[in-house]
Amino acid sequence: MTDSRLNEKQQQSDGSHEPKTRAYGSVANVKRIIQNIKRMSRSKKIDISGKILLFLPTVMSISIIVLIFTFLWIEAFPIFVAPEGGIGIITNPIWNPNDGQYGILVFIAGSFLCTILAISIAVPLGVGGAVFLSEYCPNSLRRPIRMIVEMMAAIPSIVYGLWAYLVLVPTIETIFNVQNGLSVLAGGLILAIMLLPTVVAVSDDALQSVPRTYREASLALGATKTETAIRVVLSAAIPGIGAAIILSLGRAVGETMAVLMVTGNTLQIPYTLFDPTYVMTSIITNQLGYAFIYPLWRSALFAVALVLLLMSIMFTSIAKILIKWGIKSRGLA
Amino acid sequence: MKSDYEYHIEIENLCTWFGEKQILKNITCYFEDSSVTAIMGPSGCGKSTLLRSINRLNDLVDSFRMTGKIMLQGENIYAPDADVYELRRRVGMVFQRPNPFPMSIRDNITYGPRLHGLHDSDELERIVEHTLRRAALWDEVKDNLDQPALNLSGGQQQRLCIARALSIDPPILLMDEPVSALDPISAAKIEDLIMQLKKDYTIILVTHNVQQAFRVSDQAAFLYLGELVEFDKTKRIAEAPEDPRTEAFITGRIG
Repeated sequence: MTDSRLNEKQQQSDGSHEPKTRAYGSVANVKRIIQNIKRMSRSKKIDISGKILLFLPTVMSISIIVLIFTFLWIEAFPIFVAPEGGIGIITNPIWNPNDGQYGILVFIAGSFLCTILAISIAVPLGVGGAVFLSEYCPNSLRRPIRMIVEMMAAIPSIVYGLWAYLVLVPTIETIFNVQNGLSVLAGGLILAIMLLPTVVAVSDDALQSVPRTYREASLALGATKTETAIRVVLSAAIPGIGAAIILSLGRAVGETMAVLMVTGNTLQIPYTLFDPTYVMTSIITNQLGYAFIYPLWRSALFAVALVLLLMSIMFTSIAKILIKWGIKSRGLA
Repeated sequence: MKSDYEYHIEIENLCTWFGEKQILKNITCYFEDSSVTAIMGPSGCGKSTLLRSINRLNDLVDSFRMTGKIMLQGENIYAPDADVYELRRRVGMVFQRPNPFPMSIRDNITYGPRLHGLHDSDELERIVEHTLRRAALWDEVKDNLDQPALNLSGGQQQRLCIARALSIDPPILLMDEPVSALDPISAAKIEDLIMQLKKDYTIILVTHNVQQAFRVSDQAAFLYLGELVEFDKTKRIAEAPEDPRTEAFITGRIG
């Protein structure tokens, strides 16, 4: 009580000295802000400090992205201005640092193909599995399956890679009768297997959260369970399924160990699924250790990382735009 | 009294359970063609269960069990060889909360006809206009048929749901408290609509609103704790309820 009265007095005296304080300029402004804060009630103070405290993490997460971009750009800059390099490295298919050739097209093509292959296998399979789990599976079976699926998501990627190297690659060799199973196909398949649990779990959650009344409305019109699941439930779950796709896109582009072990790491552009390839993450992992020999070599590897980041952002943004359109056309938002 | 192709429904000795809990106790009643039957009763008395027995929507619940018979056009709909999808084509349903599909207005209406094999676009357009007119919604949405149905107001959504139910032209229409989630003006519109529709449809309306039941229905059933307490012409029940429990309900002492 006395405190607030005191503040009032201060305010009055401030008012009377208005012209004088003007002269001090910003110092007076700061003073006034501090006084304003002092005059605030307890709850308002908590509110303000909460706002400031929560603003910090937001700023931090944004600045991390900016910092990573800046750092990649600074490191990659030399290759983009060097006579051997330039922006042309993106379309140059020859990578031979000993010869001053820094084309990264092979890696872009390799990563792009593996990602597209993985997504086009994992999404239909995973969403299909989720529809089964959510719409057909009795609860007694659903729970253990969900548990196993979630455990699959926790397996380290190196373990997937080892398994793929020992089982998947020879299987591809036998089934398709090819000499070398280390290929785009092996990379895409192991990526798809790794993505499956995420796609299944996230899509299943999305399907489960579709209101029961949509299902009832469809069934009441004489639809079968399958028609209902495909035409109504799946369509209503688009936002959640979209999230599953975005999550797996990010993981597919950036996955390193498993892909490194099964794609053959050969410097050539793959023309068939059975050709070996070299993906962006692999070249960075494999060569960063001795790339210091030529400064441009090191810089080129950072350029690969920069392209990788841009590619990941591009994939995610395209998916996001499509999903937003899907949500809007359904009136779900 | 009625011709051969009347769409009356006979319920004989219907008992239903969810798990161990018995919901309906030995219900026997008869719903006439081209009339509105109101099923009244306090919350939890089994009104919705009775309604959902008629299009077998209760079957979705694993623990559901029933005994007795429901006869539609002389056939027991719970017979082992009864086709539940065929049944649901003849029995439309409107739910308590408006539940249009997250699709365009047009797709909401064409969903049912397409399911049943109609793909002729002229015919589908005709159904869209016809059912929306019947649901008194056409003038409000005719320029926005491709807009998402979820952008409509609650009352409009409910009328769209009625239009959707009419899209496959079912002779019987089940309505589960269709106005309880709506504002009074929208509710009045839907009540008018029910009066309009009863010329051509057998309507069974679940409601806990006595006044509404008296306004729109020809016959009324009063359900209390799973028992059918009273079932007769609405007028008779409104004027002189036989059972003291019915009287208590319509005068507002229970429910």
